[in-house]
Amino acid sequence: MEGIFKSKILDADGIRRAITRIAHEIVEKNKGTEKLVLVGIRRRGVPLAERIQKYIEEFEGVTLPLGILDITLYRDDLSTIDVQPVVHETDVPVSIEGKAVILIDDVLYTGRTARAALDATMDLGRPERIQLAVLVDRGHRELPIRADYVGKNLPTSRREIVAVRLKEVDGDEDVLLLEREDDNPN
Amino acid sequence: MKWQRKDILGIEDMSVEEIRQILHTAKAMKGILMRPIKKLPTLKGKSVVNLFYESSTRTRTSFEMAGKVLGADTTSIAVAQSSVNKGESLYDTAKTIQALRADLVIIRHQSSGAASFLADILDAGVINAGDGQHEHPTQALLDIFTMEERLGDLEGKNVVIVGDVLHSRVARSNAWGLQKLGVNVTLVGPPTLLPVEMASLGVKMSHDLNSALPGADVVMALRLQLERQKSGLFPSLREYSQLYGLTTERLKKTQKQSIVLHPGPMNRGVEISDDVADSVDALIERQVTNGVAIRMALIYLLIGGSSNVVA
Amino acid sequence: MWWLKEVAVIDPSQTISSPCDVLIKDGKVLDIASSLTEVDVSAKAQGEAVETIEGKGKFLFPGLIDVHTHLREPGQEEKEDILSGSRAAVRGGFTTILAMANTQPVIDKRALIEFVRLQGERAGYAHVLPIGTVTKGMQGSELVEMADMKEGGAAAFSDDGKNIQNAEVMRLALEYAKLTGLPIISHCEDKDLAGDGLMRRGLASGRMGLRGIPGSAESVIVGRDLILAEETRGKLHLAHISTAESVDLIRKAKARGVDVTAEVNPHHLIFCDEDIKLNDTVLKVNPPLGSKEDREALIEGLKDGTIDMIATDHAPHTQAEKTRPFAEAPFGIASLETALSAVWQHLVVPGRLSLDRVVEAWSVSPAKRFGLNGGTLKPGAPADMVLFDPDYKEVIKPANLVSKARNTPFLGKSFQGLPVMVWVEGRLVQKDRMVL
Repeated sequence: MEGIFKSKILDADGIRRAITRIAHEIVEKNKGTEKLVLVGIRRRGVPLAERIQKYIEEFEGVTLPLGILDITLYRDDLSTIDVQPVVHETDVPVSIEGKAVILIDDVLYTGRTARAALDATMDLGRPERIQLAVLVDRGHRELPIRADYVGKNLPTSRREIVAVRLKEVDGDEDVLLLEREDDNPN
Repeated sequence: MKWQRKDILGIEDMSVEEIRQILHTAKAMKGILMRPIKKLPTLKGKSVVNLFYESSTRTRTSFEMAGKVLGADTTSIAVAQSSVNKGESLYDTAKTIQALRADLVIIRHQSSGAASFLADILDAGVINAGDGQHEHPTQALLDIFTMEERLGDLEGKNVVIVGDVLHSRVARSNAWGLQKLGVNVTLVGPPTLLPVEMASLGVKMSHDLNSALPGADVVMALRLQLERQKSGLFPSLREYSQLYGLTTERLKKTQKQSIVLHPGPMNRGVEISDDVADSVDALIERQVTNGVAIRMALIYLLIGGSSNVVA
Repeated sequence: MWWLKEVAVIDPSQTISSPCDVLIKDGKVLDIASSLTEVDVSAKAQGEAVETIEGKGKFLFPGLIDVHTHLREPGQEEKEDILSGSRAAVRGGFTTILAMANTQPVIDKRALIEFVRLQGERAGYAHVLPIGTVTKGMQGSELVEMADMKEGGAAAFSDDGKNIQNAEVMRLALEYAKLTGLPIISHCEDKDLAGDGLMRRGLASGRMGLRGIPGSAESVIVGRDLILAEETRGKLHLAHISTAESVDLIRKAKARGVDVTAEVNPHHLIFCDEDIKLNDTVLKVNPPLGSKEDREALIEGLKDGTIDMIATDHAPHTQAEKTRPFAEAPFGIASLETALSAVWQHLVVPGRLSLDRVVEAWSVSPAKRFGLNGGTLKPGAPADMVLFDPDYKEVIKPANLVSKARNTPFLGKSFQGLPVMVWVEGRLVQKDRMVL
């Protein structure tokens, strides 16, 4: 992510605490782990989902099923973005029929990714309910979507970039607020 | 890698990276095909035209399904019902398709080069679904996809392609693609059907199937057009079958659990014995699914992004 | 009267290859001398106005004679007609063209011979000489009335476009044509070997999946016809030789004294099978382009005289016909307007062929073999001449072509060295690349 550094929103400890809290909230809100299926949205939603799975395993002694969702084919901006995104596999190893699916992503912004993820999930079957967990909610929604679990609410301007870096993907572990370098609004 | 191509015309000029990207995308597409709901919104509002000058229910249906799963509108121009039979030239047909503002055209044609001819005229993307004796890239990609599913990385593997290589676009496309992936390809057939000029494909050639088989991971039998006998290209089905027919007994010479592939439809008892044909049939379901997945991948790569929006 | 001063005359018929002054009067060459003075010229003009042309740096040679053109009239005038074809000829430096007989109907009767000849005269550009078929309807079985057709103006007999498959018919044709003294032109293609091939059989055809035509499709018939010509002592001309094997066969036959001449097309001297692209039919031609080795053998054969002539095999087609998938487009290259410049640029400039040899092969030899006027600038000869400017530059554009056809591989290519003035019987018919 290109941009001028403004501030560090979360460090490794902050991320750990936020994820741990979300893990607890998920179990609490769903009154246990019975119907839960964790689904990480590619790409950084996947390690976040794995961590949530691990934390729940630690305090509940239950290994929840974990899936990976690639939402590329459900995006509504394919014909406008410059670089055609590479399609990866979706891998949800269990049936989600009648389950409580927890979609997990790093940042909630316009809501379009979440919308695509909802559609993608529905095409896999008919879950009892779907909930959304995100590490950072930065506002600026363009669709009527909200997260059920939020690690950090962060008011931003559209000129700002929220960079989530996770050690599994990026090597580093933090959440940064950056400012777009170019003056061109696009 | 950013996808650059407007058309898929052949494997010969494709890069290894492009082939890898297609196979990778096809893997994701196959996952979608295994789901209960096989419908995507991806290509909503895009139109795909199937233009088949040779009848091939299997390939045409495969492309139609691929387009539909991706959410595109697919139209098939069946040659028998259209003006192509009234002497309308491919050029005129292309102009009509252009006016219809199709996003993608799938063409199967009896003339080598027909697909690139169409691609030169159209702004829309073109996928070659088989042109004369030239190439059949989607068939080769699906064969390669199936081989990779079964064998893993194909580098260093041995593939024998046996039969009427001279007239086979499937053999040409497979030979190009497999070579690029580091496969040792051997073409086998009688000298009349595997003449010296096939050396242009840059792979090993042999007229003796028995000596080519040892070590083969994959044996691909090509369909023998029975009318070739009338043109004198081989003396009899009996002799052809004795020399080049795949039988269980003969396949033991590979000394491996080789995969047998056939682009179909098979002449049982000619290029392939009944029992071997049964083993090919066992793979048919997988091949059909893989065919749709490959074609979905290609359709997505060609018209899924912004670079291929027809203005 | 025309006075061309200090022009580099290339006339192999008189072994002239040096700067000269040339006088043209009453449609004929009047004088050719190392230099002339005003006094000499005005004495010879006898009061007639003298047009003087500074020829320095330019070549003057006898008008080219093309023994192999398809003018498509009668029957296929959408491709070309005698008027457009003969205009294309003079634009390209040709003052005499022989028109092949495979029109619709085919030219197998004296009446049709006369028609083609008269259409040529009416057009009034290059001399158009008809070739008659060898067999009625070009069916390859019954001979035409050769003597009568010769009376009508036939310059030769050929079933070009089709081969006479029956060897006995070919033998009889070579025998009977002796009555006329005219050569039988063989199309040199075995129908069965050629099959429905699309290009020369070889690595390139194998790669592209285009059905191949083996070199033997030509050489087998070349061999057959050479043997028949030797046996009958008939007069044989072999059209569009394209393989090394054919060159070899002809060389050996000539050494035995067989009465044979052979021609080669410019495209076979310039291109080879590797130049063919699957999505471009412009190089789809019959006989097909051979290998690089074939091309070298053809150039060698032309240099050493095994091949006597260059001929265009001008084969005009409409754009609609050529804008088709490779298998469906017709064979042929339209070349009258570009052939000389192409040979100049691709063979003479790089030193592969001398201009003297080009003129000999494209003017002197054809005149000799077919008994035609022209092919020389000897005083008294008809002033069929070409002024060639080696510095003149032109980009070949569809709008500039006067042929109806656009099927040339040189479209968009830039040429340096073009015919800038052409006279037919002393009449200027092309000046500064414009047909008058």
